[in-house]
Amino acid sequence: MLEVQHLTKIFPNGTVALRDVSFTVAEGEFLAVIGLSGSGKSTLLRCINRLIEPTSGRVIWNGVDITAASPRELRRIRRHIGMIFQQFNLVRRSSVLTNVLSGRLGYVNPWMSLLHYFPSEDHQRAVAALERVGIADKIHSRADQLSGGQQQRVGIARALMQEPQLILADEPVASLDPVLAHSILQYLEQLNREAGITVICSLHFLDLVHRYATRVIGLKDGMLVFEGQPKELTRERFKEVYGEEAEMVTVGGGMERG
Amino acid sequence: MRAEKRLAPLLSLLLPGLGQIVQGQQSRGLGLLATVAVLGGLVLWQKAPLLFVPLAALWLWGVWDAIQSARNRSSGTVAPFLLAAFIVYALGIRATEIHPERLVSGWPSIRPIVQALVRPELMEYPKESHIGHLPFQVPCITPLPPPQGQASEQPRLTTDVPCAALGETVTLEGEGFLPGLDVEIWWQNPIGDYQRVLEEGVPLVVPADDEGRFRITIRVPPTSVPLDRRPGPGETQTHRIEARQYRPYGSLQPTETLRLVIEKIGETIALAFIATVLATIFALPVSFLAARNLMGGHPVGRAVYYIVRTILNIVRSIETLMWAIIFAVWVGLGPFDGMLALLLHSIAALGKLYSEAIEGIDPGPVEAVRATGANWTQTVVYAVLPQFMPSFLAFTLYRWDINLRMSTVIGLVSNTGLGFLIIQWIRLSRYNAMATAIIAIVLVVALLDYVSAALRERIIAGSPGGPKRGILRRYGVPAVATVLFLTLFIWSWGVAEVDLPALVEGAPAGLRITRAFLFPDLLTRPTVESRVTAPLVVPCGAAPALTAPPAEGPRVALSLSCGAPGDPLVITGEGLPANTDVSVRWRLPDGSFLRIKKNCCRTDGAGNLRLETQVHPLMEAKEGTAGEVEISWKQVIGGYQPSEALVTTVNLSLVTLLMALLATTLGSIIAIPLSFLGASNVMGRGPVGRAVYFAARTVFNLWRSVEPMILAVICASWVGLGPFAGVLALALNNIPNLAKLFSEAIEEIDPGPVEAVTATGANSLQVLVYAILPQLVPRFLAYILYQWDINIRMSTVIGFVGGGGIGQQFRVWVGLNQYAAAGTATWAIVAMVWGMDYVSARARARLI
Repeated sequence: MLEVQHLTKIFPNGTVALRDVSFTVAEGEFLAVIGLSGSGKSTLLRCINRLIEPTSGRVIWNGVDITAASPRELRRIRRHIGMIFQQFNLVRRSSVLTNVLSGRLGYVNPWMSLLHYFPSEDHQRAVAALERVGIADKIHSRADQLSGGQQQRVGIARALMQEPQLILADEPVASLDPVLAHSILQYLEQLNREAGITVICSLHFLDLVHRYATRVIGLKDGMLVFEGQPKELTRERFKEVYGEEAEMVTVGGGMERG
Repeated sequence: MRAEKRLAPLLSLLLPGLGQIVQGQQSRGLGLLATVAVLGGLVLWQKAPLLFVPLAALWLWGVWDAIQSARNRSSGTVAPFLLAAFIVYALGIRATEIHPERLVSGWPSIRPIVQALVRPELMEYPKESHIGHLPFQVPCITPLPPPQGQASEQPRLTTDVPCAALGETVTLEGEGFLPGLDVEIWWQNPIGDYQRVLEEGVPLVVPADDEGRFRITIRVPPTSVPLDRRPGPGETQTHRIEARQYRPYGSLQPTETLRLVIEKIGETIALAFIATVLATIFALPVSFLAARNLMGGHPVGRAVYYIVRTILNIVRSIETLMWAIIFAVWVGLGPFDGMLALLLHSIAALGKLYSEAIEGIDPGPVEAVRATGANWTQTVVYAVLPQFMPSFLAFTLYRWDINLRMSTVIGLVSNTGLGFLIIQWIRLSRYNAMATAIIAIVLVVALLDYVSAALRERIIAGSPGGPKRGILRRYGVPAVATVLFLTLFIWSWGVAEVDLPALVEGAPAGLRITRAFLFPDLLTRPTVESRVTAPLVVPCGAAPALTAPPAEGPRVALSLSCGAPGDPLVITGEGLPANTDVSVRWRLPDGSFLRIKKNCCRTDGAGNLRLETQVHPLMEAKEGTAGEVEISWKQVIGGYQPSEALVTTVNLSLVTLLMALLATTLGSIIAIPLSFLGASNVMGRGPVGRAVYFAARTVFNLWRSVEPMILAVICASWVGLGPFAGVLALALNNIPNLAKLFSEAIEEIDPGPVEAVTATGANSLQVLVYAILPQLVPRFLAYILYQWDINIRMSTVIGFVGGGGIGQQFRVWVGLNQYAAAGTATWAIVAMVWGMDYVSARARARLI
C-alpha cells in the first residue's frame, strides 16, 4: 500500500507544484491521475520515487518511508518501482537490448555493469520482456530506428526488467496516436490484472480513464480536487478539474465508454 | 565441426584474417588483414622493431578470434582496437619527435614571451634623451693615431686610457649628466652597430650622483666587432662609448609599436577586403560554370562542369598560406603576394559555395514568373535573385570572415601585415612588441567573430523591407554606401600594393612553377656519370702533362696542350654518346670546377662535340699542378624508381597525418574535462556555477582567436623547430575549439534517459555509463574527426613557421627552386586533404 501524506513541492523559482496532497493507493489498483498540463501530475509521480525531492510531506510504501530513505536505500526502493515516460526516455543511440537491460541496473553488480556485462539470466529476461510487448525481433535495432509505439513498448519492457511492484506511468500515451494509446494501456492493464502490479498513471483523456482506471484522482493547481471511482467522474466533476472552458474529447473515435 | 572451422585458426596463423574469411566473415577478415598489413608497413617504415610485439599480439588475436567464431562465440573488437591504437600512437610519438622534457627545458626561452603577453607596449611617456659620447680606440697601437670623431662637451665623458683591446676593462667617468637619473652605457662599433655594455650578461646601468657625475668600470665588449671586420696587424679602429639618460616628460602617448600595429591592422583589413571583393567578382561567373542545373543539359556543359569543379576542389585543398609561398615566386614577397593568395583560395571556395546556392534555386518561382509573360531580365530580377541573394550575402560575409583571419597570419610567409611584425619582433627578441601584435590579432579576430555573427543573424532573419520612404532613404543611403565602398576599395587597392605589371614580369617564373606543379617529381632513373679529361698546361712548361688522352672510346682533344691565358682553344669531343647533354668544364689546378659556357652543350648524332673558347686565366698552373678540360655526362641505367622527392614526400605525409592525429588526441584529452566547465547544465544556476561558466566560455572564445600559425611560432621557440612544435601548436589550438563544441554537446544532453535510468535504481556511475555517455560519445567522436580533418589541412602549412611536417619541406623546396619536388609535396597534400575529407564525412554521417 502506498500512502502519500501532505506532499508539498515548491520549486526554487517559487512555483508551487503540489500543495498538501494526500491519498492512498491500495495494492493492485490502477490509479489514474488527471489534470491540466502544469497541474502537478508529473511532479507528483516524480516525488513518489524522489526523482524530484518533495519540499515537505511523506511517501510511505509498504511501511517504508521513501522520503526518509538514504541514497542507498532509495536505489533499493527504486528498483522495485518501474517508470514509463511520455517521451519514452530511451537512450536513442543505444540498442533496444541495452535499453531494456538498463532496467536491471539496480540489481546487478555495479562494477560489472560498467563494462556492459549482464548475467545470462538477465539476457533471457530481456528477451522474455520484449516478447511480452511483442517486439522481440527488434532486439538489436538502435532505439531511434523504432516507431513511437515500439519505443514505448521498449520503455515498458525496461520497466518489466525491474520486476516492479509498482509502475509509475507519466502520460505514457500522450505522444502516441489513439490506436497505439490503447495497445500501450492494454499492456499496463494486463500487468495490473495478471501480475497484480499497482499502476499509477497520469492521463489526459476521460475515455481512457473510464476504460482502464479502477480509481481516479484529479489535480488542479497542485491541489487534490477529486478522488473517486471513474464512474463518479461525470462531465460536471470533469469541468471542476479542468475548468469551465474544457470540452471532453474522445480518443480513438467513438471508443468513449463513460 | 566442419573442416573449415577446424582449419580456421591455422589459416589465421598463416595470414591474418584468412580464418575469418573462410568462415564467411569477409569484412572482419579483410579488415584484420588490412590493419596488420598497414601497421606492419608503418612499423617497418619507422624501423621500430619493438613494435612488432604488439603487432604479433594482434596477429595472435586473429587466431584466437577464429577459434572463438568457430565455436560460434563473438570476441568483440576492443582488444584489437586497443592494440592497433597503441601501435599507431607509439609510431606517432616516434615520428613526430615528441620530447615532453623539452617543455621544461625550453621554458626559459618561452618565459619572456609569456610574461610579455601581459605587458604589451601600448602607451609610453615621450622621452627626452641626454647623451654623452666619446671616441675610443681598439686595440692599442704605437703610435696611437688621433681618433676619428669628436667627444661631446656637455655632458662629458672621460676614460683613464685612450685605447684598449677587446675584453679589457676601462674606467669611465662622466660629468654634466642629469642628477639622480640612471645612465645606460652603450657601445657603438666602427660599422655603426650599437649594443648595450653588459656586466655578467645584464645591461649595465649606473645612477648619476647629485652633481650629475658617475664613475664605473666597463669591459670593452669582446663581440663588438665581427671577426671579418677586425683590424689587421698594426691597425686600430675607432669605437664610440655612449652614456645615455632618458627623462620622461609630458603626457602618455601611443608607442611606436602600437602605431605600427594599428597601421598593420589597417593593412590586414585592406588585404582581406580587396581579396574578398575581387574574389566575389571572379567567383560569380565561375560558379555558373560549376552549377549542375545550369551546365547539366549538354554533354559539353557537363564536361565543363566536372572540369571546373575539379579545379576548384584542387585549388581549395591547397591552403592560402601555401599559395602565398607559390605566388611569392611569381610576384615577390609583399602585400600583393598575400592578396593574390587570399584571392585565389577565395575564388575557389566562393565558386563552390555560390554554385551550390545556384543549384539550390527552386525552379518553381522561375516558372511562375516566366508564365506571367516576364522577359529574361525580369525573370532573373524577380525569381532568381531573391532566391540567390541571401546565400550569396551569407557566403560572402563568411568568406570575408575567413579572409580577415587568414590575412592576420599570411604575413608570416608573405612579409606583410601583422604576421610580419610578429616574425620580425620574435627574431629581434622584442617580446613586448610581439605581444602587442598578438593581442591585436586576438582582438581583431574576436571582434570580427562577434560582428559577423550579428550581421549573419540579421541577413538570415532579414525581411524584404517595407516601402522606402523619402528621397534620402531611397537614394541617400545607397549613395553614401557606394561612396564608402569605393573609397575603401581604392584605399585597399593602394595598401595591398596591387601591381599588375609584376604579374606579367613574373610570368616566366610563374609559368616555370606551374609547369613543375603539373609535372611533379615522382619517378627517377638511376644515372651514372662518366667523364673524359685532357690536360692543359698554362703557361707552357709550368707543369708536366699528366695524362695522355686515350686512343679509343670517348675522348676529348684540345687544339693546344699548353698555352697562355686568353689563347684561342678548340675543344673537340669524340666517341661520346650521341644527342646527349654534356657538361664541359675547366678543372682548375686547385681542384674546383668552372663551367666553360652556359647552356652548353649537346653532342651531335655521331657523338661528336666542338667548342671554341679561350684559355681561362684561372687555369694558370699552381705549384706544378696543371688544370684540365673535362667533359662529363650522365647515362641512365636501370628502370624507373621513386624519386627522392617522392620518398621524402610520402615519409613526411605520414608524419603530417600522425601530427594531426596526435594533436587531435592531445587536444581532446585536455578539452574533455574543460568542456564541463563551459556547459551551463553542468555548472548549474548558482552564482559560482554561472561565474565559472561565463569565465570558461570567454576564455574558450579568446583562446580560439589565437591562430594556430601564431601558436606555432611561439611553440617553435619553446620546444625547437620540428613536428613536435607543430603538434603542440595544433593541440593548443584544438583545446578551446573542442572544449567549446564539447560544451555544446553536453548542454544538449537529453535529460529524459538520465531520469529513466535513475528511476530504475541505478547509481550515478551507472547513470553516466548507460544514459549520458551513449549520448555524448558519438558526438564527441564526430567533433574529434572534424577537428582531425581541419588539423590535417593546418598541419600542411604549420611547417612554414617551424612546425615540421610536409609544409616545412615544401617551403625548403620552393626556396631551393626545386619546384618539381614542391609540386610532388603539393599533390600529396591535395590527396591527403581529399582522402581525409572523404573518410571524415562518411564516418561522421555514420556517427550522427
